[in-house]
Amino acid sequence: MSQINRLNSKGRIDCDSPINFTYNGRQMQGVAGDTLASALLANGVNLVGRSFKYSRPRGIVGHGAEEPNAIMQIGSGAATVPNLKATQVELYEGLESASVNGWPSVNFDLMSITGWFGRMMPPGFYYKTFMYPAKLWMTYEHFIRKAAGLGSAPVQDDPDHYDKLNQHCDLLVVGAGPAGLVAAREAARAGARVIIADEQNEFGGSLLASTNSIDGQPATSWVDELVAELNGFSNVQTLPRSTVFGYYDHNFLGILQRRTDHLGISAASGSRQRLHRVRAKRVILATGAFERPLVFAHNDIPGVMQASSVSTYINRYAVAPGQRMVLFTTNDNAYQTAIDWHRTGRALVAVVDSRPAPNGQIVQEVKDLGILVIAGSAVIEAQGGKRVKRALIAPLNADGTEITGAVQKLVCDLIACSGGWSPAIHLSSHTGAKPVWDQAIIGFKPGKSVQQERSVGACGGTYSLADCIAEGASAGAEAAKLVGCGDGAVHFPMPQVEEYSEQPPQALFLVPHTKATSRAPSQFVDMQLDVSASGIELAVREGFKSVEHIKRYTAMGFGTDQGKLGNINGMAILANALGQSIEQTGTTIFRPSYSPTTFGAIAGADVAGLFDPERYTAVHRWHQQQGAEFEDVGQWKRPWYFPQSGESMQDAVNRECLAVRNSVGILDASTLGKIDIQGPDAAEFITRIYTNSYLKLAPGKCRYGVMLKEDGMIFDDGVCACLGDNHYLMFTTTGGAAGVLAWLELWQQTEWPDLRVYFTSVTDHWTTATITGPNARKVLAQVCDDIDLDQDAFQFMDWRDGTVAGVQARVFRISFTGELSYEINVPAQYGRYLWEALIAAGEEFDITPYGTETMHVLRAEKGFIIVGQDTDGSMTPADMNMDWVVGKNKSFSFIGKRSLQRSDSVRADRKQLVGLKTLDGTQVLPEGAQVVFDPQQAIPMSMQGHVTSSYYSANMGHSIALAVVKGGHSRLGQTVHCPLADGRTIAAEIVSSVFYDPKGERQNVQ
Amino acid sequence: MSSNPVNISIESPLQYFHKLSSHQSKGQRAELFNGDVDFALVVKEAPVCSHLNLRGSAQDQNFVNGISQVLDIALPTEPGTYNCSQEAAIYWLGPDEWMLVSRTEAAELEAALRKVLSGHISIVDVSGGQTLINLRGAEDALQTLLKKSSVYDFAAWSRASKDSGHCTQTTFAKATAVVSNKSDGSFDLIVRRSFADYIALWLLDAGQEFGCRIEG
Repeated sequence: MSQINRLNSKGRIDCDSPINFTYNGRQMQGVAGDTLASALLANGVNLVGRSFKYSRPRGIVGHGAEEPNAIMQIGSGAATVPNLKATQVELYEGLESASVNGWPSVNFDLMSITGWFGRMMPPGFYYKTFMYPAKLWMTYEHFIRKAAGLGSAPVQDDPDHYDKLNQHCDLLVVGAGPAGLVAAREAARAGARVIIADEQNEFGGSLLASTNSIDGQPATSWVDELVAELNGFSNVQTLPRSTVFGYYDHNFLGILQRRTDHLGISAASGSRQRLHRVRAKRVILATGAFERPLVFAHNDIPGVMQASSVSTYINRYAVAPGQRMVLFTTNDNAYQTAIDWHRTGRALVAVVDSRPAPNGQIVQEVKDLGILVIAGSAVIEAQGGKRVKRALIAPLNADGTEITGAVQKLVCDLIACSGGWSPAIHLSSHTGAKPVWDQAIIGFKPGKSVQQERSVGACGGTYSLADCIAEGASAGAEAAKLVGCGDGAVHFPMPQVEEYSEQPPQALFLVPHTKATSRAPSQFVDMQLDVSASGIELAVREGFKSVEHIKRYTAMGFGTDQGKLGNINGMAILANALGQSIEQTGTTIFRPSYSPTTFGAIAGADVAGLFDPERYTAVHRWHQQQGAEFEDVGQWKRPWYFPQSGESMQDAVNRECLAVRNSVGILDASTLGKIDIQGPDAAEFITRIYTNSYLKLAPGKCRYGVMLKEDGMIFDDGVCACLGDNHYLMFTTTGGAAGVLAWLELWQQTEWPDLRVYFTSVTDHWTTATITGPNARKVLAQVCDDIDLDQDAFQFMDWRDGTVAGVQARVFRISFTGELSYEINVPAQYGRYLWEALIAAGEEFDITPYGTETMHVLRAEKGFIIVGQDTDGSMTPADMNMDWVVGKNKSFSFIGKRSLQRSDSVRADRKQLVGLKTLDGTQVLPEGAQVVFDPQQAIPMSMQGHVTSSYYSANMGHSIALAVVKGGHSRLGQTVHCPLADGRTIAAEIVSSVFYDPKGERQNVQ
Repeated sequence: MSSNPVNISIESPLQYFHKLSSHQSKGQRAELFNGDVDFALVVKEAPVCSHLNLRGSAQDQNFVNGISQVLDIALPTEPGTYNCSQEAAIYWLGPDEWMLVSRTEAAELEAALRKVLSGHISIVDVSGGQTLINLRGAEDALQTLLKKSSVYDFAAWSRASKDSGHCTQTTFAKATAVVSNKSDGSFDLIVRRSFADYIALWLLDAGQEFGCRIEG
C-alpha cells in the first residue's frame, strides 16, 4: 500500500527517510517524524479498531493523548506493549503494530452483530445481564474481556531496564507549548533551577502544527530558537517525551520519560523508561487544551475527526486524512482547518457553522477563498459503514436545540469537527483544586490553587497566542521571584504575533436530530467506552443524579483516554437531562495517572537482585564455597545447613547436631544485633528495658534478659555484657536489631531524657564465630594463649578480652546449645581470617560448620525459645515458663511490668510453653499444627494450642516439639492430639520443654 | 600452640568487587575491564582505616577543644558539614553525634581521645562495620547516579573546600550512607559492611549507562 494521503508539503517530517513498519501484519511505509497514526492515515488506513461494547468500526479521531480509538499493541514477544495510542507512538524501522480491539479481526468482527442490536446493550448492561448467577461471573468476564479486547500483556519477563531519578527544582514547567517555553525562559534567566517537561517528541506544543507567524517568521522557527536558548542554560533540564502523569501533595510530581521507546529496540545501555520523582518549589501548568468533539448521530464512523487534528496531520505530518472534507464548527478557531485543507488542494465541500451569522475575520477570509460557508446549520448525522460517505446537515434554531428546516446530504469522506476547546485541567485537578465552570470560554477552568502552582495559557482558559505568551512570561518571572530569583519582572520582549480576532463561539454539546435522542442513531459521547447521549439520558431516567454515579454507571471517562474528549459534552448532556446548569451538575475529578504509566517504570531498578538488599556477613563467601544452603533472616542471608555430597537436608542437620554434642561445631553468629551502650546511667536504663536487673552486673560478666512491650508481651531477648564502668554491650535477635535500637532511642529521647546514655549499633563491626561442643575449649586453646580458659577462671556467663589467632578479640562464654560454648568476636575485617583459623585449629576435632537449622534443633533440645517463633507478641515471660527472668524487687519499674498483673495476664488457662513428645517418635509434628484434647470432638473442635517448633532430634533419637498449650504447665504427662490437614491425627505427650541435659551440666565440661 | 600466626589477612567490605565493572569482559574473570568502554564513573574503596562513632555535647567546651586538640580538626557543629585534614575527617551526623574517620589505629585514637575527654561521652569503634568509598567521574554522570540513589538534593550543596564540605546521613537506594562532597568534585560514601555487596551491585547497575568500574 502506498502513502496515498501524503502531501508534498514539508511539516516536521523527513520525506527522504522512509521507515518500514507493519500494521496487523501488513507491510507499510511511513517517514521519519511520523507517528504511527500519521503513517496509517498517510497509507489510507482508517479503520483502526472496534468499539468496546458494540464493536462498531472506529477510526483515528485525534492526534495526541486524547485519542480514544486508535489503541494498539506494539511489538511482540517479551517486549510487547499493549494499549498504546497510535497518535503517541513514534514510528521506527520494523515497528510491529496491531489493533487491540476486534476479534477475530478488525475488518470482520464477529462481535459486530451486537452493533446491529446496539439497543440491547444499554448502560449498566453488564451489571444487569451478567450479575447472576454470581458463580458464572468468572466465565462471563473471560468472554467479555476477550471480546472487548484490552490488549495482551507479555507473559515473559520484561527484557527492558527501568530506573528512577529523584529531582529537585525551583520550578517545574509542565508543557512546552508557547506559554510553557517562555515561562521556563524567564525563570531560567532569573537563575532558578528549572525543569520543563512535555509529552511530545519535540517541544513546541500546538505551534508544531501552527501556520501562525511569530516575529515575522514561522512559529516553528521561533520554537527552535527558544528551545536552543533553553538548552543553553546550565540551570535548565529539558525533558521531551516526558509525561507529567501525577501531581501529588507537597508539590511532588511524577514524570514518565520514554527514553528509547521511539527507537524500538531494547536499550543496550541505560533504561527504556525513566520515572522522575520531582520535588518542585513552584509548578507552572501549561498543559494546553483539548478540542471538544461534537455529538451528532453516528459521529463515531471512521472519517469523523477533530478539526485541530486534521490541521495537525496536514501541517505537521504532511498528511491529508481524506479526499472530501466537511468542516463542522461552532467557533471561528476551526476555520483555520478550512484554510489548511484548502491549501492541500483537496475538495472542501462546505464549512457548516452552527452560529446564525458568523462574521469574524477568519470567516471572511475563508469565504474569500471561495469556500462555501453554511451558517446556522449543523451536521446532524454521519452516514457510512467503515468510512464516512455522507454528512446530513440541517438548519438549527439560534440556541442549537432544534432543527428548523429540511435535511440536506453532503457527499464527503471526512467530517472535521470543532465544538470549541476544553482546558486540560487534569493536573490541577490532581491537587484537589475544584474546577470551576466559565461560561465565557464554555469550559471548566482550574480551581483556586491549593498547592504552589499556577495554570497559564490554554489550560487556564486563555486561547489567544499572544495572551498565552504574555501569561507564560509573567508566570515564569513570578515563580522565579517566589523562590528568591530575580525581580519578578519580564525581561524578554514580547514577540509580535499575527492572529485573527475571534467572534464568540457557540455552546453546542448535543446536536439535535430529527428524531428524539432516545430514537436517533447513537450520538456518541465517549467513543472508547461506547457511551452515547441517549445512554446518559437513560441513566437519568433510571434515577441517577450525581455526576460521579453517572460516570460509574455508564462508564463514561473510564477508558485509557480518561474521557479527555467526551467528558464535558457528557456533563452538559447530563445537566440538560437533569434540568439544571452545568455549574450545578459539576464535574468528575481527575486523578493520577494522566495517561497510562508502565509498571516497569514504577518498579524502576528495584527488581531481581536489587529488589531487596541481601546482607552478608564477612564469612559469607566461605559459606558459599562450602556449598551452604542459605536461609533468609530479615535481610540477612544466613547459612541454613552445609550439605555434603549426597546428603539430604535432614542428613546434614543430623550430622551437624551430633557433631556439636559429641565434639565441636562452629556457627557464624555475626548477624545477631549488637548495641554498644555508654553513659553514667547505662545500667539504670538497661534495667528499665529488661525484665531483670543489671545494676550489679560487674565488668567481665554477662546476663540473659528479656524485654517486653508495654503490654507485658515478650518482644526481644538476648545477652547483655558489662564491658566496663558505664559501658555495656547488648545482643539482640538478628531480626529484632533495628527495632530494639529504635525502641531504646524512643524511650531515652521521649520518656527518660534525664538518663545519660548513648546507643551505637555495632552489629556490622563484629564478626562472631561461635565454637560449641565438648571440645570447644581445646579448639580455642589452640589459637589463644592470653586468656585463662580454666573452667573456674573463665566461667559460664563471663567474657574476656584476649588475642585469638593473633587478633584482638572479645570472647563470651555464653551458650545457645547447652554445650560448652565460646562466642569469639573480632572486628569484621578479620572475620574470614578468624573463621579459617578456627577451622584449622579445630581440624583434629573434626570441627563442623553448622547452620541455622542445626542451631534451632540444638536450642529446642534445651527448650530455649526463639522470639518470633515460639512467641508471637502475645506471650509473657510466665507463659514461656521464664518467671525466673523477671526481677521482682527492682526499685524502678520496667517496661511491661504493670501489664503482667492484668487479670488476663495471670489467667490459668493462658497458652503456656511445653514440650511435646510424639507417642510414635518417628513422627515429626508440623509447625503450626493445632493441639486438641479430644480428637473425637465434633468439628469445630476446641483448639487448645499450637506447635511452635518441631524437629527430628538425632541426639534424642526421636522427634521433639515445643508447643503452647492452654494451661500447659499443669498438664505435664497428659496426651494431646494434633489433627493434620491430611486427615491423620498425631498423639503426643506433654513433657518438660527441656529435653536434653535438664540439669545443665554439659556447659561445664572440663 | 600456634597463637601467633604469621599472616593475619584482612578483608575490606568491597574486597570482592575490586576490579569489577558494569561492562565485564565475557568469560574472563581475571580480565579487569572491557577495554572498549570509557568508564565515566569510578568507584574506589579506601583502604581499611579507623571509623569511630563519637557522642557528646557540642556545648561542652572541654569536649569541643579536646577533639580538635587530638585530631587537629575543629569539631563541625554546623548541621550537615564535615571538617577534615590529610589524616582524618569528622562528619556531623546529629546535634550530639559525629563520625570520625582516621588513618590512626582505632584503639590508639580512642585512647588518645579518652585521655582528654571526660563526662558523658561515647566513643565506639565501628571500623569493621563500614567502609569509605569514593565516587568520581563526569559531573553529569555523578549527579545522575546520586539522583538515582537518594532523594536528597545533592546539587544544592556548595562546592567543598580542601578542609571542609557538606555531608548527610541519608537513604541510598534501599540502604543508608553518609554522603559527602569533596573539593575535587567527587563524593565520598560511608556504607555499612553488610550492605556493601548490595551497594556495589546498585552502583554498577545505576552507573551502567555511563560505564562504571570499582577499584580497590
